[in-house]
Amino acid sequence: MNSEEIRIGVYICHCGGNISDKVDVEKVAEDAGKLPDVKVSQTYAFMCADPGQELIAEDIEKHGLNRIVVASCSPSLHETTFRSAVVRGGLNPFLYEHVNIREQVSWVHVSTGEATGKATTLVQAAIGRVRHHEPLSLIKVGATSRALVVGGGVAGLRAALDFANYGLPVTIIEKSLRLGGQVADLDTVFPTGESGADLVRTLVEEVSAAEGITVLTDTRVAGATGYVGNFNVVVEQKSSNGSTEELKIKAGAVIVATGSRPYEPVKGEFGFERFPEVVTLPDFLQILKKAPDGDELIVNGKTIRRAAFIHCVGSRQIEGIHEPKPGRPLNENCSRVCCTATLKAESDLIEKFPGVFVYDFYRDIRTYGRGHEEIYERASSDGVVFLRYEPATPPMVTEALSNGAGSMLVTVKDSLTAGMEIEVAVDLVVLAVGMEPADVGALAESLKLPAGADGFLQEVHPKLRPVEMAVAGVVLAGTCQSPRDIEESCASASAAAVKVAGLLTRGYVELEPYVARVNADRCEGTGICLSQCEYDGALEIVETEVDGKVIRKAVVNEALCTGCGACVAVCPTRAIDINGWTLDQFEAMVDVMCADPMEVAGG
Amino acid sequence: MNAAASTEAVDTLVIGGGIAGLQTALDLADLGLQVTIVEKDASIGGKMIGLSKVFPTLDCASCITTPKMAAAAHHENIRILTLAEVESVMRQDEDFSVRITLQPRYVDEDLCIGCRLCEYACDADVADEFEGGLSAHRAIYIPFTNAIPQLAVLDPMECNLCGQCAVACPTDAVVFDQKPREIEITARSVVVATGFETTPMGAKEEYRGNEIANVISPLTMERLLAPHGPYGRVLRPADGKVPDSVAFVQCAGSRDKSLGVPYCSRVCCMYAIKQAMLLSGALPFADITIYYMDIRAFGKGYETFFQNASAMGIEFVKGKVARIDEAEDRNVEVRFEHIDELGQVEERTHDLVVLSLGMLPAADLRDRMPIGVSSDGFVTVPKPTIEPCRTNEPGIFVAGTAAGPKDIVDTIAEAGAAAMAVSGYLKSMETAGCAVCAVSAGTETR
Repeated sequence: MNSEEIRIGVYICHCGGNISDKVDVEKVAEDAGKLPDVKVSQTYAFMCADPGQELIAEDIEKHGLNRIVVASCSPSLHETTFRSAVVRGGLNPFLYEHVNIREQVSWVHVSTGEATGKATTLVQAAIGRVRHHEPLSLIKVGATSRALVVGGGVAGLRAALDFANYGLPVTIIEKSLRLGGQVADLDTVFPTGESGADLVRTLVEEVSAAEGITVLTDTRVAGATGYVGNFNVVVEQKSSNGSTEELKIKAGAVIVATGSRPYEPVKGEFGFERFPEVVTLPDFLQILKKAPDGDELIVNGKTIRRAAFIHCVGSRQIEGIHEPKPGRPLNENCSRVCCTATLKAESDLIEKFPGVFVYDFYRDIRTYGRGHEEIYERASSDGVVFLRYEPATPPMVTEALSNGAGSMLVTVKDSLTAGMEIEVAVDLVVLAVGMEPADVGALAESLKLPAGADGFLQEVHPKLRPVEMAVAGVVLAGTCQSPRDIEESCASASAAAVKVAGLLTRGYVELEPYVARVNADRCEGTGICLSQCEYDGALEIVETEVDGKVIRKAVVNEALCTGCGACVAVCPTRAIDINGWTLDQFEAMVDVMCADPMEVAGG
Repeated sequence: MNAAASTEAVDTLVIGGGIAGLQTALDLADLGLQVTIVEKDASIGGKMIGLSKVFPTLDCASCITTPKMAAAAHHENIRILTLAEVESVMRQDEDFSVRITLQPRYVDEDLCIGCRLCEYACDADVADEFEGGLSAHRAIYIPFTNAIPQLAVLDPMECNLCGQCAVACPTDAVVFDQKPREIEITARSVVVATGFETTPMGAKEEYRGNEIANVISPLTMERLLAPHGPYGRVLRPADGKVPDSVAFVQCAGSRDKSLGVPYCSRVCCMYAIKQAMLLSGALPFADITIYYMDIRAFGKGYETFFQNASAMGIEFVKGKVARIDEAEDRNVEVRFEHIDELGQVEERTHDLVVLSLGMLPAADLRDRMPIGVSSDGFVTVPKPTIEPCRTNEPGIFVAGTAAGPKDIVDTIAEAGAAAMAVSGYLKSMETAGCAVCAVSAGTETR
């Protein structure tokens, strides 16, 4: 413990009303100011804004503060913000304690009295805890500059190319035999009308020409270990003779670009697999691409005169109306690309085969992007007839019994025609299927990558850290994160690449110091800690000979330890602690919380 | 932070200090590149710093923006010029020569300590544009609570030259005779992050946005909803009444050829739904209606946000609003075609109406730099699919809404992409030498 005099500064944030509308912040500050060793206790409108941060930095100098407490929002938002303010004041960043009185207090309590009481308790507990803070330093670990890109679609290619252009080595692995993913199959893409194959070819040519890119096709991740800066990824590559070769790739970071797959309708959904002429949009695009020029579109030997396109198949599903597929969550999200892709396909169909009449069954037309609204207009002027349905009354696809115009009937309650039931006979039904995340497989399992309720991989925060995952050193590119079009996929891929470039350009990474530490005097080498440790290599028992006796002591590998604390809980001699979260600190907090308020104030 | 020498060389000049420019600058600076941000306003932060909360997470906008503003202000590789306008960007061999006008602040940036004593001494009240004109600031003022830099700025048009501010200033920072200054910067690359303006309130005559006091802009509604906003609660501007019925008119500045804005502005559905949700928290008994053509909730988590709003009782009415008139008691009458009710034309009266305005590009840069601008007014991106941040001029890149409407999530991703494109370009210039100047030699030289 330091022998220096403890001088604590306490700052309570209003969060511009988010906190102060519910918590009497002045009262919290006043009560905190009565505690021993608290030299400054005050409130400010926005502690995270520059003037708020400067307040801390200036007070450290002015009042000789050596411990800082800020009570504001969640530490996930601003702990690092205030740490850097503390550093600007000339203190070690870990002599700082963050209290959450917004998410845990003002946003969840109704009564001002209760909220103020709880905020007071939390702040005072933090003051008790911060006395025990010690200067800590980030753990500096050497890093491999190579990045591994998993997935060779447009997002993966874009990310790899950017990373290589920046001058760092990169390996792309692709599970199939060819690069380019789903875009490679597209005849033309919106909004530019370029050929998907040409677009992929451009990227692949640039990848081939770039220095430092290794491409492995027909390759999958078998497992991964390690941590940011030093991942060890085992991949399996199939060779042409069918055998599998195992390769080990050392990478400083992993860019996940595993993409998405089209939603596969269940049997009977809008007549799927009941009628052979009910097809998904990706299948239809292939039919149209391969159809020879001529007067008529022939599918399964039948001339297509009328076609129905149905939107939101496997997207925008609503609980209570739609049924999830077995083992899958409902696809509640909009899949973002299907509206524009469908309208473009309708126009492409009509313009290639002008005799075809097209009906479009939609919920909302979402042609949101630059150049997309024009595609909607083009479909309208090409003569597409739009019918709008409510989610509870989707179109029904049934067999046409009479020898009428088409082989199937699509019936819908059309809200554009005063809710009338309208029946159209068609020869072809195209289902605008949504996007589902592709299987991320062993990579997700071995690195414990979090996915959201929708099954797509989850970023830390959509605005603060939009491409990073909670697992440090793993970033997201493209549609593995959520549905998006080619432009948006490439933008997110480049954003992912820039984060990794920033991370690996220095040759080392810095890890949080909140890891286990062993008090060698107390450790008896029981090894119980090791039996509870979940992280391979984070703890080991080292035997040394001292004066002819073998002594066993636990030793921590700081790079692998996550600071979970399982070892602390089981150590019989209290020889192991977590830096910054010691048992002494917990006890200090509990003491404050359980103490008579008068006693706390009196010291 | 705001000092300026007459000439200097930087790796990247970022035009615009909104969220796109800040994120681009931060990503570049983290790669060790030297960045200068040029911001035309007195503070960085752009449109985002004025918002209440942001969809779909409902984080308070300040809580996301201020740390990025502060991080940029304190980054050793970033310099920020405020009240600064780019006059021209000219190719000069491999670099760009950039002329910038620094507008007078009438306050010495090196001397001002942001104490606000001048503001307290000033007698002249001016409508506060940051608060949608609903409250006032003084003629000399700090732009807003969390502005960066925290320096006073004087509005010469509103100042009555009483001199009290100069008397009150403890550091003698007020300089009444400051003049605009021109500086020149050499930059190896440029990022255009000039952002958007909303379509004008009066653009659609039938909506009478500039005439009816209780028809307001969405940015005004953001301020009404912000906890630290002009009233600290939601009141309608005309008479201070707590509104019992609030309506949002969608596509009030988008998807409308009569306004010359045929495109979708991407954010209006979501901000209207978000404002509706915040309103139902602030005014639990108010009826809230959203008149729409198509609900475009396409981003991650947006559709569930929309469905939740619907389940909360916010009424979604499909129908294009044809006309807005003032009704009795300063209420507002909305005339629309009710698609789901046999397409009948109906009139409904609300206490307060928000026009969900669209996005227009904030700056036309065609005459100032060698980049293209498309018919929609936004910066041309020749290969949007696989190079979404490149303009037609090598070395000049674009990020955020300068290249078309987009929301904050997409803007931040694109800002990262712009930073990546810039750093790749700078590397290629290092290795290839004059490859680019060979391309543009003779076109943009002086």
